[in-house]
Amino acid sequence: MNAPSISLPFPADVPAGSPATGDATACLRVTGLTVQYRGFTALRDITIDIPEGEITALVGPSGCGKSSFLHSLNRLTDLVPGCRVTGSIHLADGTEVTHPKADVLTLRGRVGIVFQRPNPFPQSIRRNFEIPLREHGWSKEDIPDRMETVLRQVGLWNEVHDRLHKSAIALSGGQLQRLCIARALALEPAVILFDEPCSALDPLASGVVEDLIHSLRGQLTIVIVTHNLAQARRIADHAAVFWVRDGAGTMVEHGPAARVFSSPADPDAGLYLSGARG
Amino acid sequence: MPSVSKPAARRASFRWLDRSFAVAGGMAALVSFGLFAWLIRDLVRLGMPRISWEFLTAEVADAGRSGGIGPVLVSSVLILVCCLGLAIPLGTGCALWLAEYARRGSVPARLVTGGVDLLASVPSIVFGLFGMVFFGQTLRMGFSILSGGLTLACMILPMLVRTTLSALEALPADLRPAAAGLGMTRSTTIAKVLLPAALPGIVIGVTLGIGRALSETAALIFTSGYSTRWPETLSDSGRALSVHIYDLALNVANGGPMASSSALVLLALILVVNSAAVTLSERWLLKRHQTS
Ligand SMILES: Nc1ncnc2c1ncn2[C@@H]1O[C@H](COP(=O)(O)OP(=O)(O)OP(=O)(O)O)[C@@H](O)[C@H]1O
Ligand SMILES: [Mg+2]
Repeated sequence: MNAPSISLPFPADVPAGSPATGDATACLRVTGLTVQYRGFTALRDITIDIPEGEITALVGPSGCGKSSFLHSLNRLTDLVPGCRVTGSIHLADGTEVTHPKADVLTLRGRVGIVFQRPNPFPQSIRRNFEIPLREHGWSKEDIPDRMETVLRQVGLWNEVHDRLHKSAIALSGGQLQRLCIARALALEPAVILFDEPCSALDPLASGVVEDLIHSLRGQLTIVIVTHNLAQARRIADHAAVFWVRDGAGTMVEHGPAARVFSSPADPDAGLYLSGARG
Repeated sequence: MPSVSKPAARRASFRWLDRSFAVAGGMAALVSFGLFAWLIRDLVRLGMPRISWEFLTAEVADAGRSGGIGPVLVSSVLILVCCLGLAIPLGTGCALWLAEYARRGSVPARLVTGGVDLLASVPSIVFGLFGMVFFGQTLRMGFSILSGGLTLACMILPMLVRTTLSALEALPADLRPAAAGLGMTRSTTIAKVLLPAALPGIVIGVTLGIGRALSETAALIFTSGYSTRWPETLSDSGRALSVHIYDLALNVANGGPMASSSALVLLALILVVNSAAVTLSERWLLKRHQTS
């Protein structure tokens, strides 16, 4: 491993993963991550640095542990009874995500997540921002501005500014997903995790959301799971291919997207990326 | 003329069977409706003449043979308030614990649901005796509005727990990860997301509970008592409307006409409460249908 080529904001005792590139700062450092559900190993020994401000795409067939990986990055795995996560995950500022006493609620504010199915609260659009923002200590007066900023950022402001008091559920699927992205953005996260954010949308809405994610590049670190290889090619700077080996999910390939997609070293990854398998 | 062949005869007998089924069903429907109509007609004929603002507000006089039902209505409302004051927080809390905190199928969860279901099948006279002993004697509340209200609360608790629990369980499963993913605590998630979303179900449960509590007699005879005076505090004894009817019909000579008038008032109250429950649930279901 050529760890020294990555610039190191990490404390000295944080072990280095293998960097995807030599120039970006790692925002998340994952070392030897293993995820088990009641003894069943879903994900085995993942080591990867997620570069800051760029888009990392995770691809691979169903059931290879992509969601498990994503959920362990902000401790959503805590919600699953019987789920055990070992190994370590560090944020650039030294926060140890996997530490048993980590401040999980603050962590989830810094590492946001957007799911496959849009999941707004069945309340007004405004309440969808007020509830989480209040929880994270925002004052009532600052919330309208913050809400407008992020709604503009996701291109929803013009569509909803005159119906903020109306139920969020009445929006279309694509609008809802952008609302959920805005809601995650409102907390000013350093990282956003996307778990197949376009899979439940029609092609047009999917394109809008994809462009939106692409537009966030540079502002924060993005990790996106997608089954759409063309989409991964279009937007990803880095790519990681997950595969089931010996009954457990592993990462068989990772690196700059261009290299992973053009000349993958792993034969399974090669077949999968060429569309011949998976 | 050729005789009717066997299959044709069978078909004819089936047709006869068909027709008699339809006729029997129609008769049953007619009888059911007739009973209902007869009940209402009788109640209106016997009770309506005395119904007036006077009747609703005046004191009970001559053991109920004259005067009105003012204090009885006030006592009924106070009993209801005590009942809901205990039953709503207890029922909601219990359902929340079952839905959000207890492990499904764990021993404590099974014990609680089992207990609640058992409570639902206890006859109301037993609640009355329990209330008299526990609230009246052990907790020294005596014959009082409070004692009656709390007894009713135990009685409608299972209904509240069940409706609230099913409302919570019917919520979209992805609300919880959505809230957790935004770094919200469990308590905020419950208070600001889950409970508001389950509110329609809770309201329906409460409305049904009110209907049940209003019509209860047996549980109140031994707990809130018979007093027809204007209640001043919750520790006064107070007569509920259903108890008033029971007393007039059974213990008061010539109490029949006043019993009918009181019954008419009670029936009207229950009809209003029940149709409110139906309207609420229909509107809620409709809304869910349109938005999902
Ligand atoms: N809560 C759970 N309990 C038990 N096993 C689970 C749980 N969640 C996931 N698994 C198992 O872990 C493995 C990885 O699941 P995961 O959801 O992470 O895969 P994935 O790559 O996201 O799949 P998909 O592409 O279908 O979303 C699967 O075999 C799955 O059955
Ligand atoms: Mg998944």
